[in-house]
Amino acid sequence: MNDLWTTFSAAIGQLLSGDPELWGIVGVSFSVSVSALLIALLPALTTGFMLAYFRFPGRWAAISVLNSLLAVPTVVVGLVLYMLLSRAGPLGDLNLLFTRPAMIIGQILLCFPLLVAMSLSAFQAADHRVLETAKTLGANPWQAFVTLLFEVRFALLAAVVAAFGRIIAEVGSAMMVGGNILHHTRNITTAIALETGKGEFVQGVALGIVLLVLALVLNVSLGWMQSYSRVLRHGA
Amino acid sequence: MRLELEHICQRYGEQNLFVIDKLQLISSDAVHLHGPNGVGKSTLMKIMAGLQKPTSGEVRRIPMVGESLLQQAVIYLHQNTYLFDMDVRSNVEYGLRMRREKNPNKVDQALAWAGLEHLQYRQAHLLSGGERQRLALARALVLDPALILLDEPTSNLDTGSVARIEEMLLDLHRRGTGFLLSCHQDNALTKLCNKHWLLDQGKLTIQV
Repeated sequence: MNDLWTTFSAAIGQLLSGDPELWGIVGVSFSVSVSALLIALLPALTTGFMLAYFRFPGRWAAISVLNSLLAVPTVVVGLVLYMLLSRAGPLGDLNLLFTRPAMIIGQILLCFPLLVAMSLSAFQAADHRVLETAKTLGANPWQAFVTLLFEVRFALLAAVVAAFGRIIAEVGSAMMVGGNILHHTRNITTAIALETGKGEFVQGVALGIVLLVLALVLNVSLGWMQSYSRVLRHGA
Repeated sequence: MRLELEHICQRYGEQNLFVIDKLQLISSDAVHLHGPNGVGKSTLMKIMAGLQKPTSGEVRRIPMVGESLLQQAVIYLHQNTYLFDMDVRSNVEYGLRMRREKNPNKVDQALAWAGLEHLQYRQAHLLSGGERQRLALARALVLDPALILLDEPTSNLDTGSVARIEEMLLDLHRRGTGFLLSCHQDNALTKLCNKHWLLDQGKLTIQV
């Protein structure tokens, strides 16, 4: 018990001291996950919109595949990407293995299905009168789409928050295609795994606290957005 | 502006909902469209407004001499008005923003016309049923439409609100906007109409 408390206090101390190595690792995590999210966002929203509003052959198959991808373990995504990017793999010439772009690609593959599934459900739940009202008041198709995005913005923000939560906390793909190289590809989760393996818990606990605080902030925001969105739909 | 419908057929699956050979609506018209539930009144209005394509047939907007494209707007108002998740003023401004037109005076006038100036910064979803309908009309007014198509505009409104909508519609008509409204029962609004159309059993009959 005493050891736990000592480790926890040392971890808080390390966080507050502004330790450059520790905050550098946090920086890698954020830069990789934010980049992956920004790259995946527009294609995912467009896919969600198309699946919600257009009927075409294979639509249900596409939705089923996307829903199945939600459950794929991060380590499997890492494994597939590793095989593609390794020297002997079909994309080996790109020399991306053990780089941040490889980690970003892995996280894009992880957050894309989640963003599509949640945006699809947001668009399906949207009032059908939104697009009709926008069009009848003179909006062109792009303006009508932007209006729809605005009307379901809280549900879409919830999708973004949930997707960010999934990729910032994943370890499997980041470890396999990032390689856990200090100052380059070591992020919060791979650093925790490494420090724990070495029996040095202080930095691991400090990074764990960052993840926990982040999870708390994300979940509170998610809850707030969902309840605000419900209030708007059904009245206070 | 003249709205012309030619050889319109609307089908659902194997069944014809309605077939209309020829129909026209002009800006000076005030038309009451009636008929039993489920005959396709809303569908017909959406086809006329360009929100829905008929299974076959053509809808044409024929401008009067010197009439610009913007003066040919045909606006459809839902039975339950959809208001954007913005304040009242922003809802009125919406159509002008889509045209990239800034005209605060016009917005002020439309708000005053609908008696909503004091509520202009209130979130639209907080309005009552009558206020929502007035906002929908103000939102249409700023666009100077040629025609307004109102789908059951008086459902769930009290008599005071119906009287207010009646005044507003009469005023719009005086300003040169034609209207078509669908209503089940005869009321103050239907009395404003100079033409009556009956849609029943897949056919549209013009009644005198």
